[in-house]
Amino acid sequence: MTAPEVIYAWRWLIRDTFRQSMANYLFWVMLAVSAVVIFFCLSVSIEGGGPLRPVDDLEVAKPHGHMSLAFGAWRMPLFRDGEAQVHFVLLLLAEWVAGGGGTLLALVWTAGFVPEFLQPANATVLLSKPIPRWVLLMGKYLGVVAFAGIQVTVFIAGTWLALGLSTGFWVSSYLWGIPLLLLHFAAVYSFSVFLAVCTRSTLTCVVGSVAFWLLCWGINYGRHCLLALESTLPPLHPLLRGLAEAGYWIVPKPVDMGMMLHRFLDAGDSFRSFSELQKVQELGAFYPELSLVTSLLFAIVMIVIAARQLSATNY
Amino acid sequence: MSGLTVAEFEDVGMSYPTGFFGRGRRLAVEHISLRINPAEVFALVGPNRAGKTTLVKILLSLCRPTTGRGLRFQRPLAERQTLARVGYVHEHPAFPRYLSAPALLQYYGALTLLTESVVRSRAAVLLDMVGLADRGHEPISCFSKGMIQRLAIAQALLNDPELLVLDEPSEGLDLAGRRLIREVIAERRRRGFTVLLVSHVVGELEQVCDRVGVLVGGHLVYSGTVADLARDPRTGAPCPIEQALDRLYFSSPLPSAAEERTSEGPRPRA
Repeated sequence: MTAPEVIYAWRWLIRDTFRQSMANYLFWVMLAVSAVVIFFCLSVSIEGGGPLRPVDDLEVAKPHGHMSLAFGAWRMPLFRDGEAQVHFVLLLLAEWVAGGGGTLLALVWTAGFVPEFLQPANATVLLSKPIPRWVLLMGKYLGVVAFAGIQVTVFIAGTWLALGLSTGFWVSSYLWGIPLLLLHFAAVYSFSVFLAVCTRSTLTCVVGSVAFWLLCWGINYGRHCLLALESTLPPLHPLLRGLAEAGYWIVPKPVDMGMMLHRFLDAGDSFRSFSELQKVQELGAFYPELSLVTSLLFAIVMIVIAARQLSATNY
Repeated sequence: MSGLTVAEFEDVGMSYPTGFFGRGRRLAVEHISLRINPAEVFALVGPNRAGKTTLVKILLSLCRPTTGRGLRFQRPLAERQTLARVGYVHEHPAFPRYLSAPALLQYYGALTLLTESVVRSRAAVLLDMVGLADRGHEPISCFSKGMIQRLAIAQALLNDPELLVLDEPSEGLDLAGRRLIREVIAERRRRGFTVLLVSHVVGELEQVCDRVGVLVGGHLVYSGTVADLARDPRTGAPCPIEQALDRLYFSSPLPSAAEERTSEGPRPRA
């Protein structure tokens, strides 16, 4: 099969995934959520503001200005300068709304796409086409990732634009959230695809992929905690340390993604993250590039394993 | 194996894993040697669980034989390019319910590597042929079982296949639908193409088939013309085809102990 033929098939598989997401309203629901958040960002305005004072400064309790929400309907005092406040809002949006809620919603809702695609009654006709099975599976995976890419782009670019327009602060580093969030979703979703090939069960994929995502949080945070503890306590047992490192480097790293967003938004000066995560950065044991590369590698390996499994499956 | 054949099986066997961790094996077909020639309508018949669909799946590379080997258009079954010359109607077709019939044909045509313009022109003709031209804007979720079966026929003919595989095509079809199947088969034969028909409907065999293969318990117990099948093996007198099949299904020697009977005479089992 030639490369143009592969691309031609993928184009149609991606188009089919979009039709599927529109048919089950996922596409529109996620767009609507983005629209609501973008509208919320448009309603934000900042008046005044000044440099953030140290905590022991007696004047810290004195607000420097106000941030108003819902077009002035709700005003809250501002204890830091306006730009830092915008960074704070952007961090909340990228890390918790998109990275947490958005990823969870997308994972749960798209988990059924591949199992449904691989049900024997559906798949036998498709699998009897000249397209190799790995091309079919990869096309479907790329379709879901493209869907997530569009949604995350709309969300991040839309909120960036809206907050920029409403506050006058244009934090372009926030746009790094698009590739970061997409890579993170692609890595976790590859595990869902693997489960889909092995079980063809939507329920298993929903539960399995969410559980795996939480496990990734645990492994990622656990490794950083162990490193932080090691700096104050006696060294850990080498086996435990080895297991923590192996687990950390193998699976996707959602906590690292949050730390990278902190860095991109210069949030370290204004907002405290968990002390363990700060400690790991101080120790020089946080490698953002390697973290990204290994998450990407995880996705590739998972898809290769799933494709091999599908190729060996008798229908 | 030699000669120009559309499909060929040589001592093919297939067993499925069963039980805990797939340690057990359930035999589906065993020692199948069979040739399907160009421009013929070949029927595979047999009782339930005889292995007919498994044989079709092996031919379509949906599963791999555990023993023996097969050819499709004189090429090994692993070479998927030859699948572009095959059309397939599944016994229980199911399609993405959110697509309309023309959108489905566009999608499946693209995955058969047909160009969009070719698919567009053929889709209109085929939907008209199967009687779905006026339902083009409805999603498949609104279709009845018979309409889905008609759509399955249309998608199988999209690439104008040299080999059309019909697995129980009459399931869910009304009389007009069954007539459509017969017309499709006749048209393929007239144009020199091959049809492999898996069917329980005995009437179809007599009307449309050139040769027939009878599978019982995973073994090929007969392969030959329909006329030879419908003949008493002892007296040579013509007999109803149902009676001939009954004899093969229930009263012929068990496959494991028997010799396969062919129209060319008895043949020792491999």
